[in-house]
Amino acid sequence: MKLKSILFAGLMAASLVAVGPAQASEGHGVELKHAKVDTTDREQLRRGLTVFTEVCMGCHSAKYVTYKNLMDYPELALSREEVDELRGDKPLTAGLITDLSPEDAEVSYGKVPPDLSVMANARRGGADYIYSILTGFEHDPEGKIPDGNYNLYFPGNRIAMPDPLSWLDHDEADTEMLEQQAQDVAAFLAFIADPHQNERRALGFWVVGFLIVLTIVLYLLKKAVWADVKH
Amino acid sequence: MLEKLMQTRLFKWLDERSGAEAIIKSQLTEYPVPKNLNYMWNFGSLALLVLTIQILTGIFLAMFYKPSAALTYGGYTVAFDSVERIMRDVNFGWLIRYMHAVGASSFFVVVYLHIARGLYYGSYKGPRELLWIIGVVILLIMQGAAFFGYLLPWGQMSFWGATVITNLFGALPVVGEFLQQLLRGGFSVGDPTLNRFFSLHYLFPLLLAAIVGGHIHALHVVHSNNPEGIDIDKKDTIPFHPYYTVKDAFGVGVFLTIYCYIVFFNPQMGGYFIEVDNYTPANNLQTPPHIAPVWYLTPWYTILRSFESKLLGVLAMGASLAILFFLPWLDRSKVRSSRYRPVYRQMVILFFICVIVLGYCGHSAPTPTLKLVGQIATGYYFLFFFALLVLPKFEKTKPLPDRV
Repeated sequence: MKLKSILFAGLMAASLVAVGPAQASEGHGVELKHAKVDTTDREQLRRGLTVFTEVCMGCHSAKYVTYKNLMDYPELALSREEVDELRGDKPLTAGLITDLSPEDAEVSYGKVPPDLSVMANARRGGADYIYSILTGFEHDPEGKIPDGNYNLYFPGNRIAMPDPLSWLDHDEADTEMLEQQAQDVAAFLAFIADPHQNERRALGFWVVGFLIVLTIVLYLLKKAVWADVKH
Repeated sequence: MLEKLMQTRLFKWLDERSGAEAIIKSQLTEYPVPKNLNYMWNFGSLALLVLTIQILTGIFLAMFYKPSAALTYGGYTVAFDSVERIMRDVNFGWLIRYMHAVGASSFFVVVYLHIARGLYYGSYKGPRELLWIIGVVILLIMQGAAFFGYLLPWGQMSFWGATVITNLFGALPVVGEFLQQLLRGGFSVGDPTLNRFFSLHYLFPLLLAAIVGGHIHALHVVHSNNPEGIDIDKKDTIPFHPYYTVKDAFGVGVFLTIYCYIVFFNPQMGGYFIEVDNYTPANNLQTPPHIAPVWYLTPWYTILRSFESKLLGVLAMGASLAILFFLPWLDRSKVRSSRYRPVYRQMVILFFICVIVLGYCGHSAPTPTLKLVGQIATGYYFLFFFALLVLPKFEKTKPLPDRV
């Protein structure tokens, strides 16, 4: 009976959670491309930072990430000189904010480009979504949406952001490089969306490990205390 | 160890002034508990643990959180900014916030299992009616606290969820509009709403703590039910301490392992514990493509959506919760546990499945099929309670044992 009730509890809990995967794939039907992303890979994150500052920051900001953060996060660990070169005359505590004013952006693109600080968390698929969008510019098969505004992975396909990596009609020889750039910046955005994630996982290993040992000890203690109870 | 502690002079001093020894004896070392409780009886102590986690983490979050919808750079707000500051700059802020967010969902997992246990083994029946009623009050306050708390990050789901739910009150006749504006502090969800929700989000857990005290007191007057659902012979009880303290401690170990695994490795739970759309700052000009409450409120959301008329939907949703108060009197059977009630057992298992189906429907974007499924599940939800009135006339219960 005991086993049954544990099973029963497990089943209830599982069914509450299992609704998950069936839902996650919901969207507008196109399967996202898988991005090879490693938020502990310093080289990839720094390459992603470069793409971010040289391409994305033309229009987008990541206001929650400061120049000082770029030095302090061990995953990036930029030197003071590197940061000084990036920030110019902006203060060290300033966020990564674009020079394009919201008003100008509105005039040029019809909307203000969203801040990218938490973008990897704000879209289903996270890094995969970002990677797919950046390498998803195509010609509209129906010819309705102009080139540069048609994106296979964007809901509704009409995207205000013009093809930032010039993916559309790119030279075949550049495919690998562009895909790499898209994955690198996806990795960078996945990192800054939750900058303590590596610390969290590293700590979690010890916490969960300790709890498993503790739980085993408590189980043995329970058995010992209950030894004299007759059923 | 406890006995040794109770021999000390400090304890004697304390006892003479507080009656501590009598309390410890009556509530712990001599408090009788049926010896045959299974692991489904662990969820009460776990609920108390999660409540404690929520209050403690909440106190620290409130030290850094700022309830203001004033706009900041990039379409964010002071409230959203302060949450991100907790996640990025406050020492171990990320840990405290994820503990709180995962804690909210865990609280409902634990409490729903606790309620399911009560339903399955007939713990709501006499003499435990008051215990059950206090429990339902706890459930309602929890849902309120969760709803208020979800507005605080001021993301898209916070904003639109609060808009949809406060809208419901507007559907009530006569007082509807007044109630809606009272809740919002204006004509739409805005800065005043955020401020009062923050205040209420801090108040409700304190109410919970007090009412949980009442719940435990009521339990200790009538004592625990058990899987057999029969009144227990004194010889079949064991003292709460050390037997059930150690069993609960083991349960706590299992719970914390799973909880910490989620906190450290999957705190958003794929958008189920923290919804994806809530990372987009609230925008009152842009409705998200699909508004759904967090998973633990979705069964009631489906009941609401199952009716064409908004008023009927709101009333049905209210009734689906209010009916729980009357359960001890709707169920006329003298037998408590499902083990001896073959028909009730099938019915209650179907009821659990039905609530899960309701939850699924409420979480998904509405389609005609899902709507029909939701309506059927809603129908069964209510049928279950009313069928209990006549069930004893048809159900042949199995003979009860004298002792466990």
